[in-house]
Amino acid sequence: MYVEIVGLNFRYRKSHDKIIKNFSLEISSGEIISVIGESGSGKSTILRLIAGLEIPESGIIKVKNRIMVDETTFINPEKRGIGMVFQDYALFPHKTVEGNIRFGLNALSSQKQKIRVEEVLHLVNLTAYKKRYPYELSGGQQQRVALARALAAKPALLLMDEPFSNLDRELQNKIRDELKILIKQTNTTTIFVTHDREDAKALADRIIILNKGEVVKTGEAKVALA
Amino acid sequence: MIKECLVIRIRELKLNTNIWAMLSMVSILFITLPNLNILSNVFNEPNENWLHIKEFLLKEYVINTLIIVIFTGFFTVVIGTSLAWIISIYDFPLRSFLKWGLILPLAIPPYIAAYTYTGLINYTGLIQSTLRNKFNISVNQSYTDIMSIEGSIFIFTMFLFPYVYTITRAFIAKQSASLIETARVLGRSPLAIFWFVILPLSRAAIIGGTSLVILEVINDYGVVQYFGVTTFSTAIFKAWFSLSDVDTAIKLAGILMVIVFGILLLEKILRGGKKYSYTTTKVRPITRIKLSGLKSALAFGYSAIIFGLGFLIPSFQLIHWAIITYNKVFDAAFLQLMLNSLLTASVASALIITIALIIANYSRISHSIISKIIARLTVMGYSIPGAVIAIGVIVFFIAIDNNLFWLYKWVKEDSVKLVLSTSVFMLIFAYVIRFIGIGFNSVESGFEKVGKKFFEASRTLGMSVTQTFFKVDVGMIAPAILTGFILAFVDIMKELPLTLILRPFNFETLATKAYQYAVDELIQEASIPSLIIISISFISVYLFHRVADREEN
Ligand SMILES: Nc1ncnc2c1ncn2[C@@H]1O[C@H](COP(=O)(O)OP(=O)(O)O)[C@@H](O)[C@H]1O
Ligand SMILES: [Mg+2]
Repeated sequence: MYVEIVGLNFRYRKSHDKIIKNFSLEISSGEIISVIGESGSGKSTILRLIAGLEIPESGIIKVKNRIMVDETTFINPEKRGIGMVFQDYALFPHKTVEGNIRFGLNALSSQKQKIRVEEVLHLVNLTAYKKRYPYELSGGQQQRVALARALAAKPALLLMDEPFSNLDRELQNKIRDELKILIKQTNTTTIFVTHDREDAKALADRIIILNKGEVVKTGEAKVALA
Repeated sequence: MIKECLVIRIRELKLNTNIWAMLSMVSILFITLPNLNILSNVFNEPNENWLHIKEFLLKEYVINTLIIVIFTGFFTVVIGTSLAWIISIYDFPLRSFLKWGLILPLAIPPYIAAYTYTGLINYTGLIQSTLRNKFNISVNQSYTDIMSIEGSIFIFTMFLFPYVYTITRAFIAKQSASLIETARVLGRSPLAIFWFVILPLSRAAIIGGTSLVILEVINDYGVVQYFGVTTFSTAIFKAWFSLSDVDTAIKLAGILMVIVFGILLLEKILRGGKKYSYTTTKVRPITRIKLSGLKSALAFGYSAIIFGLGFLIPSFQLIHWAIITYNKVFDAAFLQLMLNSLLTASVASALIITIALIIANYSRISHSIISKIIARLTVMGYSIPGAVIAIGVIVFFIAIDNNLFWLYKWVKEDSVKLVLSTSVFMLIFAYVIRFIGIGFNSVESGFEKVGKKFFEASRTLGMSVTQTFFKVDVGMIAPAILTGFILAFVDIMKELPLTLILRPFNFETLATKAYQYAVDELIQEASIPSLIIISISFISVYLFHRVADREEN
């Protein structure tokens, strides 16, 4: 399997209850997975665990056969090659669109960085906005910059936390379709989190329903949500 | 579950054991060692000096210190809270000017105020000579003796009350618009609201401000020494300089340190766990009551008199003296001491900010108990009086010199024994201990404001903690870094007791020179270095006020 998560358990320090209980998930290459659940059910926490921003109590995470975390190993987030689009995008306010996207391309030569920036800007259709600062962009544009930034380094896995929650309804539907095309086009294995069933149906190949940190249902999008 | 917890903690410990943790621990070791040294030496075998002091003098030190602390505390609360209330709720002529003018007394260090007032009201001073020459009135000299305990209380009150005023006013502005309005609708008079609503609610803020005042009073050496009042600070100086008795100095410093910890503890208890803070989100401004007639005149008069006494009058007096003396005072030596001040303050502030950044970044990333303790210890120095830190540092450095003597001799055959402890390095080291709390608070609040999301985004984009620090964090908290630098810089420029004890032979700063002039009865000559210090302090007062004000609006 491309991504293997087995028996993940987690609690925040100071919190008494387990936030994630025995979470397992397998994903094949290129698949789009949606995790659905009420607010507070632990969706963001799962993404944070996969990205390496939190340390699980127990459990294994493997991506492309590389162990990210198990009993004895813990790979730091910067070494995982996993891209993340944060719920509020977390674009660096003191960097331009270009600066934000280049940020993750440290390993490449300056020349290659430039080429790659152009590529992803073209991909998200924002070439004209290269020199703008985040506050000079609309919400939808900011979201696409965040996506471009996460995709620039060609991550093995893309995580998106409620990618539509900061957009208004009309925009949501349009962007949803664009996003699906884009992800499929780049063949990026993706987990995205949402509380909206419509989003999940439209985008996901497969969905996981989460309740209070536990998986209650999983399956093909149309079947599971029927 | 306990086992799992342990496993995860150990794992976190491993992940957190990086360069940031190491540097933080080394820094905190150096910051705390000199103070620990004092505490551990308190119980050394007492000598004759100490027995003498204990038998005949200690009581006086304690009583004088207590009297000054209690009365200054009382008067600063009265003046600080009443002004905070008047400015917050009433409208009267010049209110918005006075609102921030009333912070300005903080720009004048009390020791400068002490000799300014002395020069102003003594026999040859402006007031008495005017009365004598113009009105033929001569004043009974015992009425004008400011060089006394009462005089010290007056000076401390007039120049430290803004601590209570600013914190309480900010608190009232933040917390109570709706409360005040509710109380008003219920038909309570403003005075009743002040007594029964505002005072109890602002307790934490008032206590916080007052404890700052008290710590400043205890830290002071310039005022009490100049006025000839014996307190703990002056006793430590006497033990060190007149008696050359390290053990006694350590014992006195140790007792003072315990007293300070007692005050901090008392503050905590009185505050009852409540915190005052400048940082809540937007609040509705209070609708002020417009005063007219006699009431308006009273409110204006009261605020204006305090502003006059605490800022205007001493400033004009100093400017007047400066005009008389400037061509006598400005010379090459003066330039040299200005340079000394600027250089030591810059180097120390730069070190402070560097260490503050390291510790703040570490404590932000690691959630371990160790990092919390380190953060607490870092701000401790700001509560400990300068004289105490000075004694701790000097003992520490002499010990280092003793242990490094072999190295000195190896480098230079005829080396003297005391190398570090006679250098300006020791002074800078002590400044860092005393003022790192200021830098740390600035940097830490900068980090808090920015939050962790950019840090996390950067990590997922392939940057390590250290790369993130340089590429993201430093840029994002640059304003906080600058603020911290300036605040520390200004406090170092003003600093007197530490500098007096630790400066190398013949090394003068603006503060020590101003003080020296005053002690040598050249009060007018002291005006130039004093005015420079005040102008620089003005910047930090302005800065601090602006930050607080912006958050308020
Ligand atoms: N830093 C934290 N410390 C303690 N508890 C947290 C923290 N972050 C989230 N939680 C708690 O964990 C649970 C799951 O949060 P989260 O993963 O953000 O949920 P979701 O993204 O599904 O809304 C919630 O109950 C939340 O209160
Ligand atoms: Mg969430």
